Amino acid sequence: MDSRIVEFVRGLRAAGVRISLAESIDALKAVETLGVADKGHFRESLRTTLVKESNDFPVFNELFPLYFGSGGPPLQNALEDMMPDEQEMLEAALSALSGRLQKLMDWLTSGEGPTKEELEELARRAGAQWADNPEAGKWVTRRMLRQMGFEHLEEQLQQLVQKLQEMGMSQDAIEKLLGVVEANREALAEQVAQQIGLQIAQDRANRPDDIYTSDLMHKPFDALTEEEAERLRREVQRLVTQLRSRAALRRKRGKQGKFDAKGTIRANQRYGGVPFEMKLKKKKLKPSLVLICDVSRSTENVVEFMLHLAQQLHDQVSKVRAFAFYDQLLELPPEVLQLIGDRQPDAAFDIIRRLLPYRPYGTDLGFCLDAFCQQHLSTVSSRSTVIILGDGRNNFNAPRLDLIKMLQRRARRLIWLNPEHERQWGTGDSDMIDYAPLCDAVYPVRNLAQLSAAVDRLLAGG
Amino acid sequence: MFRDIDDVRQRLSQQQYIASEEIGTVVYLAQSLCKPILAEGPAGVGKTELAKAWAGALEHRLVRLQCYEGLDESKALYEWEYAKQMLYTQLLRDTLHDFLGDATSLAEAANRLSQEEDVFFSENFLLPRPLLTALTSEQPVVLLIDEIDRADVEFEAFLLEVLSDFQVSIPELGTISARHQPMVLLTSNNTRELSEALKRRCLYLFVDYPTRDAELDIVRLKVPALGEELARQAVAVVQQLRNMDLRKVPSISETLDWARALVALNATEIDEETLRNTLTVLLKYEADVAKARRLLGNGGSHRPGGRYGQSDR
Repeated sequence: MDSRIVEFVRGLRAAGVRISLAESIDALKAVETLGVADKGHFRESLRTTLVKESNDFPVFNELFPLYFGSGGPPLQNALEDMMPDEQEMLEAALSALSGRLQKLMDWLTSGEGPTKEELEELARRAGAQWADNPEAGKWVTRRMLRQMGFEHLEEQLQQLVQKLQEMGMSQDAIEKLLGVVEANREALAEQVAQQIGLQIAQDRANRPDDIYTSDLMHKPFDALTEEEAERLRREVQRLVTQLRSRAALRRKRGKQGKFDAKGTIRANQRYGGVPFEMKLKKKKLKPSLVLICDVSRSTENVVEFMLHLAQQLHDQVSKVRAFAFYDQLLELPPEVLQLIGDRQPDAAFDIIRRLLPYRPYGTDLGFCLDAFCQQHLSTVSSRSTVIILGDGRNNFNAPRLDLIKMLQRRARRLIWLNPEHERQWGTGDSDMIDYAPLCDAVYPVRNLAQLSAAVDRLLAGG
Repeated sequence: MFRDIDDVRQRLSQQQYIASEEIGTVVYLAQSLCKPILAEGPAGVGKTELAKAWAGALEHRLVRLQCYEGLDESKALYEWEYAKQMLYTQLLRDTLHDFLGDATSLAEAANRLSQEEDVFFSENFLLPRPLLTALTSEQPVVLLIDEIDRADVEFEAFLLEVLSDFQVSIPELGTISARHQPMVLLTSNNTRELSEALKRRCLYLFVDYPTRDAELDIVRLKVPALGEELARQAVAVVQQLRNMDLRKVPSISETLDWARALVALNATEIDEETLRNTLTVLLKYEADVAKARRLLGNGGSHRPGGRYGQSDR
């Protein structure tokens, strides 16, 4: 039983439920306590120890019967209730029916369904090993039933009935037989569906996970396929929880700040001025962000993830202003951030593209910086961290280093996030080599791991 | 201690709490595996009530820690009672004078005093807050940590340490471990994602709105004065309301309030007028009330289709 539970845990993990080792140990302990005799209790004890999100309950409910079900309802034996002469008639009639459906007819009348091995073999022939999700499972099930001959069953049954009538079996007995066969047919179909479901779940658990999320975190943004990007988008939520608790812990430790003389005197008035309670100045660690993002094609992915993180971490920063630039500068309307937070980047970029139409070789950071300084300079104060997200490729336009210098002086920090590898800086139309020394920090953000590390340092105030 | 799951359910029902099979199993497992329970679900489905019934069934004291934004260790664990320390120092001035009077130098006096400073940092001056109370209690307790999702992430991290070892360290006194490991129930209304580490340490219980029959049982149990037929109608209305696309659907506690209101009004049946007068007990938004009136007003002849319903125009 233990090994079955471990397999079940693997199945759940493969279906995307997060289960730690400690939790699977808890599950085994819980089962030890309650036993497996009562299926309801067994099910509850696994669910309460393994599944900690109500969103994951459907996955659990889908997989549990596959792993711990009886494999489907049992078949009935049609021969049992028959008179000996009727049994003989049926056997004779069955053997007279030729063809490949004989086996199926045997299963449906004798009450002995296919063995586990036979089912597995049939499932493999139907292509169960190529299916990787429950939807495909339905298709494989239909195919497997067809291969077992369910399609031609009606015909065959009519022939059988005819034969039996010829042999003189009573109408009652035939009706009864047909009833049993019908019930068995449904039971067998159910068995097949469960077998396929289980096989798919197990295959999924055993398949070497070729696209581990942790690997994806290190895959460059520009090499992500659409499917991989979608997986990462779902990962952002988890990443945000991590970043948030790190930031919160840091803020807690950060409270051991400077001595607050005024606060201490005020707090200790009620003890007659004897300083019992010491007050410390709280450090203001929540940064206020001004994001200036390059939204040319090459940086679309990284911009999306940066905005997604910023949107999700809104409680960790005091304020976020987001600007997009291309050949013009544009302050991003809130609905764009909202769409990105809802994981609908395409809709978000549609809006951006409508406001900032795409022109080949249009990027002009220098011009946009100038526009920024003229219209939005008030957003930058000594409390704000300015983040420029872009590759520093300027199409040989004026880089306007003076404006960068000015922004750096004005802001608390100026941070540049660059999705290009360091060795590409300064090649072609890249002005990055000139920009880099003017910034407080430059972080490479080629993949999500680097981006989240950069955001983490950002929240730490570095 | 509970003997088995049926025992749990039976003793909870003696406390006027109807526990589903699931709740019974989880509570029993929490006791046998010594693990905290994390109960999630919409507001007002009886998560807090479960802790009270649990404590009542075991005849343990219930220690409650209500979480809120800004809750910190000194509010949750312990605090030094400065004022009392201050008062004692004042009152003991003479004794101190005698004690230190014959010291020849300031250094000697300070030394002598420092040997006695334990007096001022003893448990006499410790003001225990719920967590410390639960840990140091002579009798076993049930600890309810209510609405953990409202506390800050820092507090959650701190709670993790307490929940994993059931001990806390107070710098001046050393480590205090639990005399009895308390039964712990954390509740969350899911307003924010809890950390995985916390979830990992707990058994998970999702409490949802009850089914029609379960809710009817609860109403019968808690408001026996309401007639059988009326209770059935009332529950039917509530269940219908929960299917609507409302800003806030009625919870169990609101169902019970409504049932009591019906009793107080001596209602004999739920007709349009009774409904109009009492609907505000169930629904707390003006827009919800208006919508419910519109949809229920036609005698429920067609099911409320929520957003897609024809009646929604």
